[in-house]
Amino acid sequence: MPEIFIDNIRYEYETPGKVLQFMLDNGLDLPFFCYHPSLSIPANCRQCMVKAGMPIFNRDKGTYEIDEEGNRKIRYFPKLMTACSLDLADGMVIHTHHSDELVKQAQADNLEFILINHPLDCPICDQAGECPLQILTYKYGPEGSRFEHKKVHKPKAVQLGPRVILDAERCINCTRCVRFTDEISKTHQLTIVSRGDKNYPMTADGEEFDDPYSLNTVDICPVGALTSADFRFKARVWEMNQTPGIDMSNGKGCNTWLWTRDNLILRITPRFNESVNDHWMPDEARLSYSRFNENRISRPQIRLDRDEQVPTSWNNAELTFREELDKVSPSQILVLGSPHASVEDNYSFRKFFEEKGVNEFFYLPHIIPGSGDDLLLSDDQAPNTNGVNALGFRETDEAGLKKLIKSKKTSIIAILDDDILERTGLTAKEFSGSFTVVLGTNHNETSLSANLVIPITCAAEHAASYVNVDGRIQRTIPAKETLYTNRRLNLEMSMSRLDHYGTKFDNWVTDANRVDCIPAWEFFTRLGDEQTTPAYHSSREIMEEIAGRISRFKEVSYDRMDDENGIQLELKQNTEVNTV
Amino acid sequence: MSNDWKSYQPLLIPAIRDLHEISVYEKNDGYQALKSILSDRKKWSPENVIEEVKDANIRGRGGAGFNAGLKWSFMPEPDGKPRYLACNGDESEPGTFKDRKIFEYNPHLFIEGAIIAAYAMQVDAIYVYIRGEYRPWVHKLQQAIDQAYEKNYLGKNIQGSDFSVEMYTHMGAGAYICGEESSLMESLEGKRGYPRVKPPFPAQRGLWGRPTTINNIETLANVPMVIKNGASWFKTIGPDTHPGPVLYGISGHVNRPGVYEYPAGMNIMTLINEVTGGIRNGKKLKALIPGGSSTPPLRADMLDGVTMDADSLREVGSMMGTAGMVVLDEDTDMVDLIWRISVFYHHESCGQCTPCREGTGWLEKTLHKINSGDGEIRDLDLLLAICNRMEGRTICALADAAAWPVRYSIDRFRDEFEKKCKKTVYAVA
Amino acid sequence: MSDTYTFDTKDLKEIENIIAKYPEKQAAVLPVLWYAQDKFGHTDSSVQKLVAETMDIPEAHIHGVVTFYTQFYEKPMGKHVLDVCTCLSCQVCGGYDMLHYMEEKLGIKAGETTPDGQFSIQSVECLGACGYAPMLQVTNDKYVNHLTREKVDKLIEDLKAGKKPEFESMKMPQHVNGSDK
Ligand SMILES: Cc1cc2nc3c(=O)[nH]c(=O)nc-3n(C[C@H](O)[C@H](O)[C@H](O)COP(=O)(O)O)c2cc1C
Ligand code: SF4
Ligand code: SF4
Ligand code: FES
Ligand code: FES
Repeated sequence: MPEIFIDNIRYEYETPGKVLQFMLDNGLDLPFFCYHPSLSIPANCRQCMVKAGMPIFNRDKGTYEIDEEGNRKIRYFPKLMTACSLDLADGMVIHTHHSDELVKQAQADNLEFILINHPLDCPICDQAGECPLQILTYKYGPEGSRFEHKKVHKPKAVQLGPRVILDAERCINCTRCVRFTDEISKTHQLTIVSRGDKNYPMTADGEEFDDPYSLNTVDICPVGALTSADFRFKARVWEMNQTPGIDMSNGKGCNTWLWTRDNLILRITPRFNESVNDHWMPDEARLSYSRFNENRISRPQIRLDRDEQVPTSWNNAELTFREELDKVSPSQILVLGSPHASVEDNYSFRKFFEEKGVNEFFYLPHIIPGSGDDLLLSDDQAPNTNGVNALGFRETDEAGLKKLIKSKKTSIIAILDDDILERTGLTAKEFSGSFTVVLGTNHNETSLSANLVIPITCAAEHAASYVNVDGRIQRTIPAKETLYTNRRLNLEMSMSRLDHYGTKFDNWVTDANRVDCIPAWEFFTRLGDEQTTPAYHSSREIMEEIAGRISRFKEVSYDRMDDENGIQLELKQNTEVNTV
Repeated sequence: MSNDWKSYQPLLIPAIRDLHEISVYEKNDGYQALKSILSDRKKWSPENVIEEVKDANIRGRGGAGFNAGLKWSFMPEPDGKPRYLACNGDESEPGTFKDRKIFEYNPHLFIEGAIIAAYAMQVDAIYVYIRGEYRPWVHKLQQAIDQAYEKNYLGKNIQGSDFSVEMYTHMGAGAYICGEESSLMESLEGKRGYPRVKPPFPAQRGLWGRPTTINNIETLANVPMVIKNGASWFKTIGPDTHPGPVLYGISGHVNRPGVYEYPAGMNIMTLINEVTGGIRNGKKLKALIPGGSSTPPLRADMLDGVTMDADSLREVGSMMGTAGMVVLDEDTDMVDLIWRISVFYHHESCGQCTPCREGTGWLEKTLHKINSGDGEIRDLDLLLAICNRMEGRTICALADAAAWPVRYSIDRFRDEFEKKCKKTVYAVA
Repeated sequence: MSDTYTFDTKDLKEIENIIAKYPEKQAAVLPVLWYAQDKFGHTDSSVQKLVAETMDIPEAHIHGVVTFYTQFYEKPMGKHVLDVCTCLSCQVCGGYDMLHYMEEKLGIKAGETTPDGQFSIQSVECLGACGYAPMLQVTNDKYVNHLTREKVDKLIEDLKAGKKPEFESMKMPQHVNGSDK
């Protein structure tokens, strides 16, 4: 196998590639700015310089030339090389700052250059704390600056587009943002203007940077030159908590990071997953975080007279639900699963009614034809259409639903988290003949028309799985506490510095942002007949059960999803109804 | 060859009236080299043409001095897909003003050379990149190209052969960096002139991703005479290691500035004192920039016996560059001069690479400080430190070109810099 | 705005011819911008938009190109743009004297335009006429060499009178002294 020596340690490599990427893959450190694994390589920041050489091959002898000490003789390139653009070659020798003083010096020199025109306004910069320039300067930079002239002034706080703000003085001209719009989103909305140290990225005059993926440039900008209009000045990153999640706003299932502080999701950023979303995510998905914080259903709600829902106790809610169920025969119950709810919730929802004798289960796909694109937006607006389908729920549509309500003489409609009224032509009138139970996360038209509303956890509050449009099953981890969960007790939940060291008396920690809700499966566990249904303690257990019983989910487990970044399911075209 | 120059008859731009007209050019043996190639394809196979040109060792006149034929030989085997020749008429290095003479006085010589190069490298199209400021000369060249098309020296089936090639002019729009070969290609492709990272080299991936060779205008103008008279004849002109005629663009404080054609390797003092009639107003020579602004300046006392060729200039610590010689008299303020050069590089840095983008500005600002009397001795060390950090650390050679004049003038004219600096008083503790 | 600037059918034909010179249409960006500047006198944002739309090339790209090359006028300029070289050879041969003389004469600084919109002055980098220093270029076209105050006076008068400078052939000294020319 071909080999390469980095700081005198031998590595083998299989596939051709660049030295910097190889080093990153092997956990070696080298400072860099302009390189991005998913973009072209301009090698313009000049930060990743290394000393590189090749062994001298003696063609006559067919061997490498050897020096007195028995080592291969190396011919070094006359100049330092940028590792990001340097191809791996068999026998190549690389020296980084760890083994070469000149390289170390060159890295510091380059940072000094970058900083001479940088405003150094870290205290008020949103990027502080997650800024490659800050971090690399700390690790590799010079000790001070010898620059004593006026810095170049450029436009500041420019609203480039609805979601992105530019501070051109902070820009280090790495061109990542421009390359993103040229190579990934292909809107070509950005360019670098002017020349030399007057350079900065811009749109055409009078044009908006309204690329549906514009916020990705904020992520990849290695400094605080591009910031998110939405997140600006909201929080210091080091006060936040970062939890892996899955996007709920779309069928693609982009892998995300949920950023919380004081139990509110403050922003969503993409999490790398080569098989799903690479490093990217649509703006729409990022800005969907407010649904986790706002307008949440907290405590069960019950409609006493015709107009008004009022909060009620969990006991009363359960009691009411049982009573209503006892009044009707199974054939009069219409069960609507949801592409917006998780596999576990849909499964326990179905299972509960199956035990009550119901044998038909439906769902309404949430698809807006033509709303998707070739990148990360699917026509499917729901995160789990394939999941609910694979669980044996049968697809229906508006007309079908109307017919079902009529033909069944339906007297109970049970709806799992899905705002059907809002997204179809149906009105509350259609439901008015029945007792409607909605298990939901947020108040919406459908929940407001219900007779009974059970507040359930959202994707930011529970561990649960979703099957994306491509048939990949991926799971969430709770990022937010509910009234009944606790970061310190739930080992899966991540802890920020504040969570570790803050106390209830710290003014940034309040109880106000904890929602009174439980996972849907937990509600059904409570309602279930203890003799026939063993109570679940966690969604993990439910997935184990699903994996054992439904062939499509065979061998799916949380551990595997975690290890493999999701699992590709074999989804057949025609789903026959499974009996659980 | 000390006095040979007096009898030298110009080869690149002979004194023939209306030579830019194709009929006159033809009457004076024009397009004969091309015709002889096309009429004896056995003798003049593309490989043989390259061999002959390589043997002639025409050293690139664009600044780097690379053997043109050798460069041509880097082109890969034709694969049926397009290949290109780009002719570099960007001519923006301060002190350089020679290629436009070819456009004006002998455009067909260059056109013929480019056609021969195209034949040798089997390219499909020739693009002549000319700086936008040379608009009047672009028109002159375009007229000559049109004439060459009319006479079927360009276009399809040239002179009845199976060899076809197109030639287009392409006008820049004000950017020195576009003279750098990879930036030139970007500019030709309609983009901002950002030099490309090498490798891949142009012969591997050039214009539109296809094999491309870039040559300077004057370089190509040497080709027809090599074919006509042979490489060994060519090598009798000028020094062995740097043969052929050279257009010396001489400017600054001389009595008769202008472009002169003489063999390479001319004695510098001869050029200054005899050819151009010496320093004007009877002043003394102070310094010379031998080949455009990026070549390190030489003090008058370093010029004894130095000749205008790569070897001789290297020995004294400078370069041949474009042979654009800027002659400076004793009154020249070197600090002011170097400051102005740094303004140029600061203005022309494309801004891609950190060391160049930031370094050129830092150099200018520091030199400005010294030039306006606010500098301190330690600023000279700072300047050298900045140069150290720029050289060899960028995508193209502009950063080096910006650093060299500063580094070498501090080295060679240090007292002038020090004189402009404030005397730093160290406080005694 | 872009209805103030339009290409007529003749222009479009011309642009098509330009594009035909290259294997890819993007390569025609510089020549088409030149064509537009010749027609409209500048390449401000509405001209950039027109070019982008005509060529079907992203406007941001056109904007980036225009701002990279100094000869494209991002804003309308004076009727006559006097580009005075102050670089190297011109610097040491009095380029700045000429620049300052013109600034004084026209009452504007380099980078400015006279209130009547007649003249703009710019201090520019080497124009490749170093042997004929000091020199200037008039509105991206003809060169005026070996400047003196008198020459500047005359040039400005001529321009005011609508008389543009002629192309001046700068003979090679060798030819002048030698045989033929
Ligand atoms: C910053 C920079 C500017 C350059 N400008 C020019 C130029 O104006 N004209 C030119 O012929 N070569 C110029 N060159 C050199 C070209 O890159 C290239 O080497 C040359 O055109 C090759 O032609 P030759 O081998 O025939 O000399 C420049 C190089 C650099 C680094
Ligand atoms: S704005 Fe950010 S991403 Fe864009 S070029 Fe500047 S530093 Fe790079
Ligand atoms: S060295 Fe300067 S001019 Fe050359 S590519 Fe880098 S920044 Fe641009
Ligand atoms: S990462 Fe920027 S040059 Fe390598
Ligand atoms: S320095 Fe002025 S034209 Fe070259």
